[in-house]
Amino acid sequence: MRASIGRYWYAYAMVLPVVVVIAVLVLYPLVQGVYFTFTDINESTIANPVLDREASYEFVGLRNYLNVLSGDASFGAFWATLLRTVIWTGTCVVLTYGTGLGLALLLNRPMRLRGLYRVLLILPWAVPAFISAFAWKYMFNSQYGIINQLLGSLGLPQPVWLGQSDLALVAVIIVNVWLGVPFMMVALLGGLQSIPADLYEAAEVDGATPWQRFREVTLPGLRSVSSTVVLLGVIWTFNMFPVIYLVAGQNPNTRILVTYAFERFFSGASRDYAVASTYGVLILSVLLVFASFYRRALRRQGELV
Amino acid sequence: MAEVAYDSASRIYTGNPPVRAVDQLNLDVADGEFLVLVGPSGSGKSTALRMLAGLEDVDEGAIKIGGKDVTNVPPKGRDIAMVFQSYALYPHMTVAENMGFALKLRGTPKQEIKDKVAEAAKMLDLTKYLDRKPKALSGGQRQRVAMGRAIVREPSVFLMDEPLSNLDAKLRVETRANIAALQQRLGTTTIYVTHDQVEAMTMGHRVAVLKDGLLQQCASPRELYDRPANAFVAGFIGSPAMNLKTVPITAEGAQLDGLTVPLSRASLDKVGGLTEVTFGVRPESLKLAGADEQGMELTVELVEELGADAYVYGSVRIGGTPERFIVRVDGRTPPAFGQTVKVALRDAGEIHLFHPESGARLEA
Amino acid sequence: MTMTLQATAKPVVAAKRGQRSRAASFGLHAVLVVASVIAVFPVFWVLVTSFKPDERAIEPSPQLVNNSSLDNYVDVVSGAEGSFGYWFANSVLIALLTTVIAVFLSATTGYAVSRFRFPGSRPLLVSFLVVQMFPFAVLIVPLFNVLLALGLQGTSIGLVLVYCTTAVPFCTYMLKGYFDTIPTDIDESGRVDGLSPFGVFWRLVLPLARPGLAVTAFYAFLTAWGEVAFASAFLSAEDTSKTLAVGLQVFVQQNRVEWGHLAAASILVAIPAVIVFYLVQRFLVAGLAAGAVKG
Repeated sequence: MRASIGRYWYAYAMVLPVVVVIAVLVLYPLVQGVYFTFTDINESTIANPVLDREASYEFVGLRNYLNVLSGDASFGAFWATLLRTVIWTGTCVVLTYGTGLGLALLLNRPMRLRGLYRVLLILPWAVPAFISAFAWKYMFNSQYGIINQLLGSLGLPQPVWLGQSDLALVAVIIVNVWLGVPFMMVALLGGLQSIPADLYEAAEVDGATPWQRFREVTLPGLRSVSSTVVLLGVIWTFNMFPVIYLVAGQNPNTRILVTYAFERFFSGASRDYAVASTYGVLILSVLLVFASFYRRALRRQGELV
Repeated sequence: MAEVAYDSASRIYTGNPPVRAVDQLNLDVADGEFLVLVGPSGSGKSTALRMLAGLEDVDEGAIKIGGKDVTNVPPKGRDIAMVFQSYALYPHMTVAENMGFALKLRGTPKQEIKDKVAEAAKMLDLTKYLDRKPKALSGGQRQRVAMGRAIVREPSVFLMDEPLSNLDAKLRVETRANIAALQQRLGTTTIYVTHDQVEAMTMGHRVAVLKDGLLQQCASPRELYDRPANAFVAGFIGSPAMNLKTVPITAEGAQLDGLTVPLSRASLDKVGGLTEVTFGVRPESLKLAGADEQGMELTVELVEELGADAYVYGSVRIGGTPERFIVRVDGRTPPAFGQTVKVALRDAGEIHLFHPESGARLEA
Repeated sequence: MTMTLQATAKPVVAAKRGQRSRAASFGLHAVLVVASVIAVFPVFWVLVTSFKPDERAIEPSPQLVNNSSLDNYVDVVSGAEGSFGYWFANSVLIALLTTVIAVFLSATTGYAVSRFRFPGSRPLLVSFLVVQMFPFAVLIVPLFNVLLALGLQGTSIGLVLVYCTTAVPFCTYMLKGYFDTIPTDIDESGRVDGLSPFGVFWRLVLPLARPGLAVTAFYAFLTAWGEVAFASAFLSAEDTSKTLAVGLQVFVQQNRVEWGHLAAASILVAIPAVIVFYLVQRFLVAGLAAGAVKG
């Protein structure tokens, strides 16, 4: 150990600031957050320096976990919410990846106006998410929203998008896909450009049709990029709080695990930090399980180190 | 100017089992000498060079430059310049900035840097390109910039790691001569790594042959060619390669099919109680024999015509199994494919004998 | 010989290599135009709305122009609805600080991980991935305590550090990938030329990694520029210390949204982000690809 510190001291010096910042601002709070899940901490029991009040929360063992995992509606109907979260994540990632790949393939061809298309298509990424959320909320409004006006002029029904129905979930999925496509598209475009052109030429000489070239050259060439962006996409979407919260508000039909944690955290007089943290730990566990399966599946395919 | 010494220097890569990339290397390079490290890929030649540069740790032993132990000195304290295979030119700097970078880091006055860069550029015919970025240069020009970067610094040792392998064949031959001439003129100690034995033979004052991290032989090109220390060096140096066959041996000499090669008294003493020996003969030491002469029956499989000479590849049955032999013949009258010809030695002295197991040279 | 001649003399029926038929070309552009319209329309619609008075913005049949004027912008900028100038200045300060610190931290870390296989480098990268899995916002209470203990609660610097922890893990991944594409020969050449390991990083690798740094800066800037939850939790409640994203909530009352004013303010917020985007967009593909390809 001492030898490795001597040999790599400059590497450790370069990493140290990040490790310190992450340890102080993530790991320590994380440990404290995990501890909260075993207590009954909330707004009335937490220490309050302003009111000069001592902390009065108590250790309650696994009570929070038992409450949440019972699936009781007063604790956010965990299993139903988990199912909705999985549907939300799956749909968003599939649609984002599919659209991103399609657009990347189109943009990867030589053509006129390519640069312009690229700038326009990446634009949603550059707009701060809370502004996009307002914009879509405004457009989805059932009375004065442009979307329903458009549907009406086409003779289609004009539903209440952000009301108490599953349409609200559809609406937030649309918004999230709109937000997420640019990242996928840019990453996949880069992946496409890293595939050597002579592979396509070799396939063409071997007599591969365009579809076969896509299956046998493009997709394998993108596997490494894809595995990374899909994993990131799943993690980010699973925890995507601002979009749902700002577009749909506290709507039970769009409630996913992370928004419920927020509801517990911010709303109501109680501010139930304990249950919110319990949700946080459960979200982390679900994602860790997913990530380890995902990596194992990739390793079986010979990808990833 | 300085001499270089490897003193039982080893580089061991951790792993299971650990790999000795360079194993107990002992090598002394004289001041002003041009030493070539040559060997197949994985022989440790580049690692040995990088140990000298300070880019690779020395796990055992020591390395000295100019008599000073530099084993634990970082690269910048070793007063060396290095030319990389990829040239490693800094893409964001112009040619002039690339060449002057090391001087700038040393705090050399601007005007002095400018003069030295201009001088080196003139020597290498780069004056026109000083303001260009490396991207805008051809492969040969980039190679010269890499050379220039090393020259400008006036280091005590030049290190070159396969500096010609990214050039096309014609340019490589030309540059080979230029580098050798330049080194002659500057008189700077130079260690040059290559996998190309022609480069090694034509450029080096001495050539060190490495294999699996072990030094096989270090000698002048002539010596290496005429008296290879073992079967590996014998087969590695020379193109086409030396014919190396394991053959039975009797009191009369080495028994090739239809040809008995008599051995000198000294050689026979060396062979001692062996019944077999690795017998080596270079293609140019063989000739086509007349019908009445003693010789091996060789069935022609391929003829490579090079103009003045031709190389005949064919098989000879030794102890019942066909063995490939290469023979150099006159380019104007080569035998035809499928023909059977008789092959004999030009001179009984032009043979090499090696121990059949250790591969060590047997002659005195 | 004659056969080859005949073969080449045959009239060419197939299209030239790499040329599309007219229909395919039309289809390609049609799809891209539709996609571009969808991508741009929400922003365009906010722009249109930003010129309308609040009550016109909620008419049942929206029109492009409806009593449009610059009044909303005048109101917002003049501070009639809150200290827009302060918010803007706070946001710029916090976003720029976040960008500089996050880029610096992720560059050093990314370089160390890319170049030196030191013991602990792999767990470090894995922990970066895990950090992103925890819903960060749930950490607000413990974070509050930490910032309080450090004396940073309610200060811009505290918020900047919090933003860095969200931006640095992804940025490090991205930059590590980018550094991996720079040949190590360059580093070694620098070492031989007389640079220390830090010198190599500072004078050779950073200048060469500009595209990767640009993308990282863009990402870090956006992370800080549009964030609401932490900003409302960790900045003091005074109106003059809010950021834009927090301040704009003024236009969203309990039961009523001042859409016209909100739109105008949104456009003003979006402009700096779009400018930053425009500056780095030509680097985005190369920079992000390197990070994602290497993963």
